[in-house]
Amino acid sequence: MKILSMSGFVPEQIIDTVRFTGYEGSERLSHYCGYAADFISQVKEDASIDGAVFPKSCDSSRSIGSYLDETGKFIYSMPVPAIRDEGSVAYFADILRDYKAKLEKHFNISISDDEIKARDMVISERNAKIAASYGKLSDLSYSSYIREVHASLNAPYSFDESRIEAGKDGKPVYLVGSFLAGIELSDCIEKAGMKVTGDDLPESGRIAVQSESADSSEDIYLKIASDILSRRPSPTQDLFEELIKNDVAEIEEKGCRGVIFATQKYCEPYDYLFSVYKKVLDEKGIPVLQVQLSDSTDAGAHAFALEAFADII
Amino acid sequence: MPDSYLVHVAGAMRSYYKDFSKYAKGRAPSQKVAWVTSFAPVEILDALDIEYVYPESYAAVIAASGLEQPLLEESSRQFLSCDCCSYSCCFEGCISTGKGPRGVPPVPDVLIATNNQCNTLPAWWSILAKRYNVPLIVLDYPGEFTDADIARPYVEKQHKEFVKKMEELSGNKLDENELAKRIGNSINSVAAWKRVCACLKEREVPPTLLFDDINFLITARCKEETAIIYNLMADEMETYPECNKSLTPLFWIGYPLWYHKDRYLTEVMEGFRVCGSNYITWWNLDYEGDSVWDKLFGAYNNTFLNLSQKTKTERLSALIAASGAKCAVTCRNKSCKCDYVSAKNVGIPQAELEVDMIDREYLDVERAASLMKILKETVS
Ligand code: SF4
Ligand code: SF4
Repeated sequence: MKILSMSGFVPEQIIDTVRFTGYEGSERLSHYCGYAADFISQVKEDASIDGAVFPKSCDSSRSIGSYLDETGKFIYSMPVPAIRDEGSVAYFADILRDYKAKLEKHFNISISDDEIKARDMVISERNAKIAASYGKLSDLSYSSYIREVHASLNAPYSFDESRIEAGKDGKPVYLVGSFLAGIELSDCIEKAGMKVTGDDLPESGRIAVQSESADSSEDIYLKIASDILSRRPSPTQDLFEELIKNDVAEIEEKGCRGVIFATQKYCEPYDYLFSVYKKVLDEKGIPVLQVQLSDSTDAGAHAFALEAFADII
Repeated sequence: MPDSYLVHVAGAMRSYYKDFSKYAKGRAPSQKVAWVTSFAPVEILDALDIEYVYPESYAAVIAASGLEQPLLEESSRQFLSCDCCSYSCCFEGCISTGKGPRGVPPVPDVLIATNNQCNTLPAWWSILAKRYNVPLIVLDYPGEFTDADIARPYVEKQHKEFVKKMEELSGNKLDENELAKRIGNSINSVAAWKRVCACLKEREVPPTLLFDDINFLITARCKEETAIIYNLMADEMETYPECNKSLTPLFWIGYPLWYHKDRYLTEVMEGFRVCGSNYITWWNLDYEGDSVWDKLFGAYNNTFLNLSQKTKTERLSALIAASGAKCAVTCRNKSCKCDYVSAKNVGIPQAELEVDMIDREYLDVERAASLMKILKETVS
């Protein structure tokens, strides 16, 4: 069974999912981000996909279900809590139970709590390894690191630092954005003479710099919910103040000379964030380059802008 | 002579705009001020004597006054992408320049955003929170995407916590009877507004009137005055002559075009008459349930844009069928991804127009005219 998942808010522990990384799809949906449109395309067009799970956390993702409801595949729109408190952890745990129940019903399977716990251990180990490598980014090739991260998002979730190449010298920069679907962007950054030493990406920095999970209970659903909601905030959670404060602290601590803000076109959470992020960085004299990706496979046409940015920092 | 609704309209407008800078002239508001999104549970605020202002509605007013273009440009200078919802861009321009037809709204003491229509609003409110450095409260409504037995306690808990925070802000204690009264007012407003909407199908009622006057259901639904206005309006409209049945009945799907003097494209709609619109039904909230908390859950969790596609399609199809429309104009609104898919499988011929409800420069009028011509040929 192959379930395509989108976003770090979708738990990997309940069932094995395939993390959506990119697809050259035929769906061209005006005003939706290309990442969501390509996700829709793959679910519709790829016969090997049995289902899709995605968050209700931005306008593009909350509309995905409307395009997939007639596919007959397993479709689950996950309402990620927009607030972060104890009540929302309990609520999210209920959502995870509901997700499991719907999977069981649709596929006529049974998923035991022991299975979920075993998968949780594997995911926790992988996350710890990602965090350890993230701490050494100044020595590693970022493009090699992020490829290893992406590979580890699918079963068997193995992450091996020894597979990551050593990094070359470069001007230290910080990378902000949604899931780095156009992974070639990381190559372009390195080719332009820059070195990513920290990021605020859902699959990397937000996993690596995670606060201690608030929940130590035996209830595996509460634990998973708490783990996911204890991560650094995503702009879809509307905690801009906290997000910017965290990022700026890391940018300053790591001595980054600039910020690359890479987002999908029509991605409103990051567009709103950018309008305040840019002002804060301007006040601090930190240059920022916005790179807008047109879809999940776009990464190419930004080399010139990146080179120019490398020159000015 | 019977009481005209216009007298009440003037009073309601005065009351709503009294603290906007053009009228306040430096006088501070006497109440705490909340900026709210248009599906926020304002019954709670009203019962606690907190004033509330709707930035989305004000953006519509700005466009209706023809002032949106320089403000949209200003928002770009503030690094806000023009891909974002134009309500937010227009409003950002207004508060950045201090320019607007009624000045700027009173400075907020709190910002309240809901996600029951879109996720744009909480993100937009986040930049407002940064600008004004005041608390942002996001009310999270899972909508039809989540089983009601999971969503109901979650929403109820948030409503109760929200009350506590608003009690602290206002220094007032919530009287549940007062809250029930406000909810009762909202229910009456919805019922009276439905009477008004019913006139569109049968009477010579300009749709413009409904697109404009739904404003009270949005900004003052829990005020007693609103049902009075709408009942008087309906009384008057029910006496209007029958509409011209020789024109092709057309359903308007999507937002009004606020910048347009008629709010819809009269210039390309010769031979058609608008007999229905889904926008004018969006605030017909269903306050179902016994307790005040159940009623608030029913109304605010299940707003139109928070429903599954299946339910949206069913509701829209039922509205269209009830209106007697033979065809539809579907506004593909550049600003609103969530509404973009509302009109799926509605079962009548449609002209799909690429529009923006605020930015007049977005529409290609010639293309719209040719699509309307094709629509006319299809239905004749
Ligand atoms: S890239 Fe942005 S708009 Fe697209 S799914 Fe992710 S958060 Fe949503
Ligand atoms: S127009 Fe659409 S995106 Fe904009 S505030 Fe309204 S619902 Fe949200």
